[in-house]
Amino acid sequence: MRLLVRQAFILSAKDMRVFVRDWPGMAFALILPLVFVFGFSLAFSGVGPDDERLRLAVATEESAAEESAGGLSRQTLDALAASPETDVREWDAGEAAAAVEDGSLDGYVLFPGDFTQRVLSGGGAEIRVMLAGGAPPETEAALRGLASAVAGRIGAISLIAQGTAELAGPAALDLAELGRLAEAPPLISFSIERVGSREAFNASNFTLPGYLTMFVFFIAAMSAEAIARERQTQTLERLLANGARRPAIIFGKMLASLYRGFLQLAVLWPAGIFAFSIDFGVSPVAVIGVSVMMVVAAAAFGVMLASLVGSVKSATSAAVFTSLTLAPLGGCWWPLFVAPEWLQTLGLFTPHGWANDAFNKLMLFGAQGADVAANLAVLALFAAAFLAVALLRFRSAPAT
Amino acid sequence: MDDFLAADNLSKRFDGVQAVDSVSFAIRSQEIFGLLGPNGAGKTTTIRMLSTVLAPDGGDVEIGGYSVTRESDEVRKRIGVCPQELALYPELSASDNLVFFGRMAGLSGREAKSLAADTLERVGLADRAKDAVRKYSGGMKRRVNIAIALMSRPQLLFLDEPTVGIDPQSRNHIFDTVLALRGEGMTVLYTTHYMEEADRLCDRIGVMDNGRLIALGAPAELKAQVGDPATTTLEEVFLNFTGRSLRD
Ligand SMILES: Nc1ncnc2c1ncn2[C@@H]1O[C@H](COP(=O)(O)OP(=O)(O)OP(=O)(O)O)[C@@H](O)[C@H]1O
Ligand SMILES: [Mg+2]
Repeated sequence: MRLLVRQAFILSAKDMRVFVRDWPGMAFALILPLVFVFGFSLAFSGVGPDDERLRLAVATEESAAEESAGGLSRQTLDALAASPETDVREWDAGEAAAAVEDGSLDGYVLFPGDFTQRVLSGGGAEIRVMLAGGAPPETEAALRGLASAVAGRIGAISLIAQGTAELAGPAALDLAELGRLAEAPPLISFSIERVGSREAFNASNFTLPGYLTMFVFFIAAMSAEAIARERQTQTLERLLANGARRPAIIFGKMLASLYRGFLQLAVLWPAGIFAFSIDFGVSPVAVIGVSVMMVVAAAAFGVMLASLVGSVKSATSAAVFTSLTLAPLGGCWWPLFVAPEWLQTLGLFTPHGWANDAFNKLMLFGAQGADVAANLAVLALFAAAFLAVALLRFRSAPAT
Repeated sequence: MDDFLAADNLSKRFDGVQAVDSVSFAIRSQEIFGLLGPNGAGKTTTIRMLSTVLAPDGGDVEIGGYSVTRESDEVRKRIGVCPQELALYPELSASDNLVFFGRMAGLSGREAKSLAADTLERVGLADRAKDAVRKYSGGMKRRVNIAIALMSRPQLLFLDEPTVGIDPQSRNHIFDTVLALRGEGMTVLYTTHYMEEADRLCDRIGVMDNGRLIALGAPAELKAQVGDPATTTLEEVFLNFTGRSLRD
């Protein structure tokens, strides 16, 4: 085991030595992505909204009687309206529906008539996001963000309500008291305020993670070509005859890809921050975490590719082909949330898609770290699956 | 003299081609053994099996008393391989190449550096040690290829066509190196298509054709089988055994 680790590190150090001597390769990995980000940020700069901030429409179907009794939707709406950080306008439920119908309103958040009742029964209430057919993605994202923030808070209240009921019996349930809970400051402090603000629609906030992901995978995929060449020149066989372990060769190659990927992160994220004013959102740690996991998945992808191809030529083709197909499918070229449904579904089959989805959530829609836990887990699964294929299939002999 | 290598009924088939067919031979300690044969005869395939990187379909080999198939780790500690291809990293310097392979073979950084310097001296590349190998001439690259094989301090050295495409000066330098290594106790398996080279270097020769070993013996013995040992060339011996038809 010690031998294996030692060999993997020596091998990866050698690969890095080769990499830093390869100026065109370095430029490809580190500078070209920035050129793309620059160009496409300009092209996408119209994707954001024209006005300063999104105006969020909300409406409730709960009857006046319930509202006066302290209906939760009423409490929530008042709290939202009072918040200086959100621009929420309350609509009459009927008018809002009509406005969406005739196209003068893109969408709104609706509390159904039985909302309070269902929350208190513990059966799970729903908040609806009503959207016009051609609603722009940022409106949808903003309304969804508002709805899920409210839902999260109400969910907590519902739990407290049930807990109180368990402890003190049903008689202790006091609507007014629950209303006060709902009004408490945390309700309004959800992260929605970022959503409508202008910097959230700095196009670089999705072009940079997109091209970062694409180029990390591209460079990792090109390692398959380098490995195929080492098979051809028999350096891999020479290493084996020399006492190198097969897994040490695989892990060494993967480590080298990790170093290259981390170098790309270390150059491209700061370049994004200083040159393109990108914003990591409320959880920079999560952005770093997702990018690290993305690099791991890419490195494993590279050794898997190397284990599946034979000649140098087929390795090059495979690297270019996979890079140029997975990148658009996985939302590297345009944000997946503006893509048609079928493309979004296809994106789920690519590690790129899961990485970009996480970056978009964190950097555009104000998500918290916990919101991208699934993305991290799926990226880790991709990495494990790729590595497993590599360990099973990796050959050191030249292609015949 | 003891046998350092003993190959017993070695066979390998690649889809449709019997590359090596029941080959048995032995190499004595400190012997330079030549493996000759036309293109596609199975020389490289044999070396790949002897050096543990290709599993034989049948048969086994003992090297230094260890089985190539069952005790490959022990075998690997005792061999050095110079493949037919230039198995090196052209972007790196000769010194970096040697240090890398030495460290992969288990040497510490310091040991590897010191052995690399000695070895580059031995193959006449000490003054160009820091230059990228890509800038070397063909003969210099061949010498680096051999030098790398010495970085595991082998007892048995496999040299698969180490002198293709190089000038007489480099070739002579390589001969001298091989003879000096043998003088220090190394055993060598050498393949080549240059008959006068084999005649000059090798103590014994095995001739392969179509995967089979068809002749085995000292150059003089083989010549005697064909004609007058004083006037017969090894080339005539070779053509006599392998025929004149063209190979793939
Ligand atoms: N990996 C492989 N897959 C399929 N066939 C192979 C493979 N390696 C070798 N062969 C075939 O096996 C036979 C022996 O090849 P080998 O390379 O051992 O010959 P050789 O004596 O080294 O020839 P040369 O003098 O040209 O180097 C040839 O017919 C070759 O085409
Ligand atoms: Mg050969």
